[in-house]
Amino acid sequence: MTANSSKVPESAGVGNFEEQVLLAVIRTGADGYGMRVRRELERVTGRSVTIGSVYATLDRLEAKGLVISARTTTGADSPSRRIFSVTPAGARALVETRAARDKLWAGVNLQPLLPDV
Amino acid sequence: MGHQSRPDHHPSTPPLTGLAASLFRALLPIAERDEVLEELAAEQAERSASRGRFAARIWLWRQLFGSIPALARRAWWRAWTGFEPRANRFNHGGFVVETWIMDLRYSARRLLTRPTFTLLAVLTLALGVGGTAAIFSIVRALLLDPLPVAHEERVGVLWFDGSWTEQEFLHFRPDFPGFQGMAAYTHADQTLEIDRRPIQLVRGISASAELFDVLGARAFIGRTFQTGDDIVGAAPVVVLSYGLWQELGADPSIIGRQLRLGGEPRSVVGVMPREFWFPSPTIRVWAAAGLRPNNRSGNWTLVGRVAQGGDIGRMQGPLRTLAAELGRHWKYPREWDKTVAPAITPLRQYLVGDVRTGLLATLGAMGLILLIACVNVAALMLGQLSGRSTELAVRTALGAARRRLVQQLVFESLLIGFLSAAAGALFAVTAFGTLLRSLPLGALADTAALDWKLFAAAFGFALLAASLVALVPGAALWRGNLQVSLAATRTGGISTRGGRLEGGLVVAQIALAVLLVAGAGLLLRSVANLRGVNVGFRVDNVAIVDATMPAQLSNEQRHQAVLDMLPVLQTLPGVRVVAATHKLPLRGSGHNFGISVLGKPDLEASTTAFRVVTVDYFAAMGIAVRRGRGFVPTDRFSTARLVVVNEALAAKYFPGEDPIGRVLQTFDDRGERIIGVVVNVTEQNLTDGPVPARYMLHEHVPMLWPSTSFVLAAARPEDVPRLLDAGRQAIRREGRALAVERALSMESIFEDAVGVPGRVATLLSLLAGLAMLLGAIGVYGMISHFVTRRTRDYGIRIALGLPPRRVASHVLGRGLRLVGLGSAFGIAGALVLTRLLSTLLYGVRATDPLVLAVAVVALLLAGTLAALIPATRASRTNLMSVLREE
Repeated sequence: MTANSSKVPESAGVGNFEEQVLLAVIRTGADGYGMRVRRELERVTGRSVTIGSVYATLDRLEAKGLVISARTTTGADSPSRRIFSVTPAGARALVETRAARDKLWAGVNLQPLLPDV
Repeated sequence: MGHQSRPDHHPSTPPLTGLAASLFRALLPIAERDEVLEELAAEQAERSASRGRFAARIWLWRQLFGSIPALARRAWWRAWTGFEPRANRFNHGGFVVETWIMDLRYSARRLLTRPTFTLLAVLTLALGVGGTAAIFSIVRALLLDPLPVAHEERVGVLWFDGSWTEQEFLHFRPDFPGFQGMAAYTHADQTLEIDRRPIQLVRGISASAELFDVLGARAFIGRTFQTGDDIVGAAPVVVLSYGLWQELGADPSIIGRQLRLGGEPRSVVGVMPREFWFPSPTIRVWAAAGLRPNNRSGNWTLVGRVAQGGDIGRMQGPLRTLAAELGRHWKYPREWDKTVAPAITPLRQYLVGDVRTGLLATLGAMGLILLIACVNVAALMLGQLSGRSTELAVRTALGAARRRLVQQLVFESLLIGFLSAAAGALFAVTAFGTLLRSLPLGALADTAALDWKLFAAAFGFALLAASLVALVPGAALWRGNLQVSLAATRTGGISTRGGRLEGGLVVAQIALAVLLVAGAGLLLRSVANLRGVNVGFRVDNVAIVDATMPAQLSNEQRHQAVLDMLPVLQTLPGVRVVAATHKLPLRGSGHNFGISVLGKPDLEASTTAFRVVTVDYFAAMGIAVRRGRGFVPTDRFSTARLVVVNEALAAKYFPGEDPIGRVLQTFDDRGERIIGVVVNVTEQNLTDGPVPARYMLHEHVPMLWPSTSFVLAAARPEDVPRLLDAGRQAIRREGRALAVERALSMESIFEDAVGVPGRVATLLSLLAGLAMLLGAIGVYGMISHFVTRRTRDYGIRIALGLPPRRVASHVLGRGLRLVGLGSAFGIAGALVLTRLLSTLLYGVRATDPLVLAVAVVALLLAGTLAALIPATRASRTNLMSVLREE
């Protein structure tokens, strides 16, 4: 197999969906497998999420080194599962993404734009 | 991360089945397939319980459709980057497609790291592919594409092609036995006069009314001929080709209008479809002939459609009846006896003629060259494989599937195939034009046009070649015991097996190359001999403009039209002398007249070439006067007719006498007095040798043919191209009754006369060059492979003190042995096969030793050069670096 050739920039924020997936992985705790992450996302955001997009995003995040996956076995007759957990780099990316967003929010006053909420 | 109990996990859930499951399966990598499917099954079961089965199923499908783009992108991305999650490190497994993409990328990178091999392989295949695609396209156009004739297998041309009379045709017309229909046609080019435009000459056919019915062709607009169109006195009608109609404005209302064709107004009754042509694509107008029942001079061709249920191969019975009937009505001289061997030629064979064999032979030769190219590339790949045997063995030992190794090899050859298809298509476009010019196709060349099918052919041949190339090394890899080869490499042993097939193939290539080089050499010598023929006139500084006059002009009007044109042409800048003649040298046979000599009544009846010329003809053509004098301007007004003869005529009819002052009789008892003798010029063909000829002035000849050639002698040869144009313009402008047919240099007429040998020589030279190149590549690949297998051996020998030069000469000797053996076979083949060329040879025997020697030396030289590269490499072998590599 050829080596993993994707390069990770020193400090990279993550995209919106990537951020959501990372957070969902953390929220599912030690039980973060694909379908569980998908359900968590659906439950919290209230939007339907497909399993394909979740797996594709998790692969991308793993290639960037923001999550890591490992196998667990559940029983003799059922297949093992790929369990995801967020790496320190992933945590840092989340912090950076949040910080960037907070900076943008700073000083923003939406009151005049929202008619009598 | 430990073992967890999961509340949503149902080990008892039935596995997901159905179409959706299969699609998911296809989109997921093998290592993660089962878990995802199980999760999906579990959630579907849960939803089925809570919201009903239908809703659960809808959910599953929405998941599927929503996932497809992301999963497909992921499959590609994983294959391209080689990403494999950490979780799968003990359990690899991607998509099948994934391995394809990876291997394709791997092959591309391998090819990029070995540019010499890649370039050599691609070029080798491209030459073979391009050449084959080009000749195949011509074969397809000429031999496979349908003729524009309905049920062409029932249409044929009768024997004595071009020699039937109107009387004969009309006699049988009501019922040709065994035929559904029969038509007579003859070539009749027509002048086309349109107001305010110069007279134009259009290629045409004059035919009986049945022509289009026999061919089963319908008009695009209007109608074709109908019964009664070809009676003398009927309103003359013509059918136009699509091309001519387009040129005249493509106006459908042209039907019923009149065009001045051949000097008389004729009604256009129809236009043929774009794809119709007969009997050659250059024909642009078909005129209904006015057939005269009492006309016994004839130059008609009869084309017939065999009756329903009849077979063109079984027409002997009806044709014999026809011949017997001919014998009852007409008495034929022996050499024109139409009753002797009645026969019918199938239309395609008649139209394509002798080209068929030549075409198929060229296709065969080209296919052979393509095969050689494949063998060469396969040998190159084999060499590459043996260089990689350690790597491959290690990979196999580490668990690489053999299928995967073969797959990589196949991808590599497919990539080479694609690249050579692209390069080959470019080569094919060039080769297509060259072949069309160099094969003796005549007017039929126009039916073969360059189109997308050529590229499709190149692509198809390239893929075929790539598959062939992958076959041998692929099989070797599949079958081969890599452990053994690993061991062999380790011990540095020279494998005794193998190499014999490879050597045999190289010998065969060399033999073929020698054969082709010998053939090309013979033809090139013939062409050189032909060029060396003394034609008797100047070739380099003469421009020719051919013109025709409307058929209805009287003889006086024709003479006047030609003579009036001369002073105009004389004023063109750069012109030295102008003249005209109705027939130039090197323009084939014809225009021979019977001769009798006053005072020699016992002379055997015979004919000589007869030429009508203007006063300055000899000066313009550079024909030297040997005795007496040529024509002078005052001769035009001489009441006595004068004639100039050539040396051959003088020698034949006046041996040992002085012909000057003697009288020949051509037209009547008045006769014409010989005033001079000029040198022989090659009248018909370059190879004919001297034939008797005589020349008379326009003013002294009572008749004149409608076509004439103006001869413009330039002061300097470099003025010729300008004169061609100026002459053409002047005749267009001033020649009221003259239509310019073409303008060309005497030099190109000479080239045409060199003709078929010249064209075939070009073709064979190309093929020979190709075969030589491929032979050299074959020697290179073979010897290179040979050296690679012995690197360690040579390294040890050199380390032990063997001079490197000895190693080089050993390798070189190996190469030369192959070339020598191949040459021997090639010469044996050449001695037999070059006889086939004997009709094209001139002044050189088919077994010319010089040519054979040159062919062998050329191959030895090419072979030496090809073997020198690996030989030098072998002599530089360094034992330490060899051992380090291992």
